[in-house]
Amino acid sequence: MVVCMATGMQAQFTKATIQASGLTCAMCSKAIDNALKELSFVDAVKPDIKNSDFTVVFKQGQDADIDALKKAVEDAGFFVAKFTITGVFNNQAVKNDEHTGIGGKEYHFLNIKDQVLNGEKNLIIVDKNFLTPNAFKKYSAATAMQCIKTGKAGGCCEKAGLAAGTRIYHVTI
Amino acid sequence: MKKLLFINVILISLTAMAQPKVGEPSPEIVLKDVKGNPVSLSSLKGKVVLIDFWASWCGPCRKANKHLVNIYPSLKTKGFEIYSISIDDDISDWKKAVAADRITWLQVNEGGGWNAPVANLWKIDQIPTSYLLDKQGKIVARDLEGRQLEKAINQLLK
Repeated sequence: MVVCMATGMQAQFTKATIQASGLTCAMCSKAIDNALKELSFVDAVKPDIKNSDFTVVFKQGQDADIDALKKAVEDAGFFVAKFTITGVFNNQAVKNDEHTGIGGKEYHFLNIKDQVLNGEKNLIIVDKNFLTPNAFKKYSAATAMQCIKTGKAGGCCEKAGLAAGTRIYHVTI
Repeated sequence: MKKLLFINVILISLTAMAQPKVGEPSPEIVLKDVKGNPVSLSSLKGKVVLIDFWASWCGPCRKANKHLVNIYPSLKTKGFEIYSISIDDDISDWKKAVAADRITWLQVNEGGGWNAPVANLWKIDQIPTSYLLDKQGKIVARDLEGRQLEKAINQLLK
């Protein structure tokens, strides 16, 4: 059964961890560091050699734009191989293969157990081009909804008050 | 007279801003070492010097360190020195990496990451980036690695 639902629970996203890949060492390039720092909601960018990724810390209370972060990586000449967003949650109920409104944005949880999120949690973005093509295949098979292909709401969700074309972030835990 | 003064100021600022190039004398650099003591590049005049921009979180830089650790001791006795500039923002990460890689040559850091003043002046847009200087402090090569680097150092030491 497909259920589309939007709730208005608040959560604050504090940082993202982005693994970038390409032909050369992504962390060794000033371009990617600059592109991320140019975003108005980004406070700090810290490369981590152990996991070969960047931790991007958001300015407190600012709305982070996940798509803008991905675009910054791509504009610098790299691809996103893994994208995790960290948030602080307060009694946020999430259900598998359902849409959930968090902080004014729509999230579609995949491959999870129904649960209530509390405290600091990491969400892995599984939209196309936010992970390797193989990993994307796995997650796109986890739902019958069309939004996984486009990252946008289809006609199915209009009943639930979600206009067609609304950006839906597909995530897992 | 006023006009002349104005022209002088412009010239000086232009010289300070120009990116150092192969064939030109290296500009002075003064940065602090692991203990916080200032170390000037000009104090190494008379030696063949490798200026090496790196950071603890840069994989290829750490790999290059391993090679330098092997070749450094014998070359040092012949008059070679390395002036490594870390662009680490986190000073403790830098110190840990220096210890972990067993680096015994000159290590300095200025903080500020990619946009630190020296990294900016040298227009560093990727690391590792290195410059080889002759005994007179003139830049003779950029980004030499492995055998090529050893060969060039030995030639300059002659």
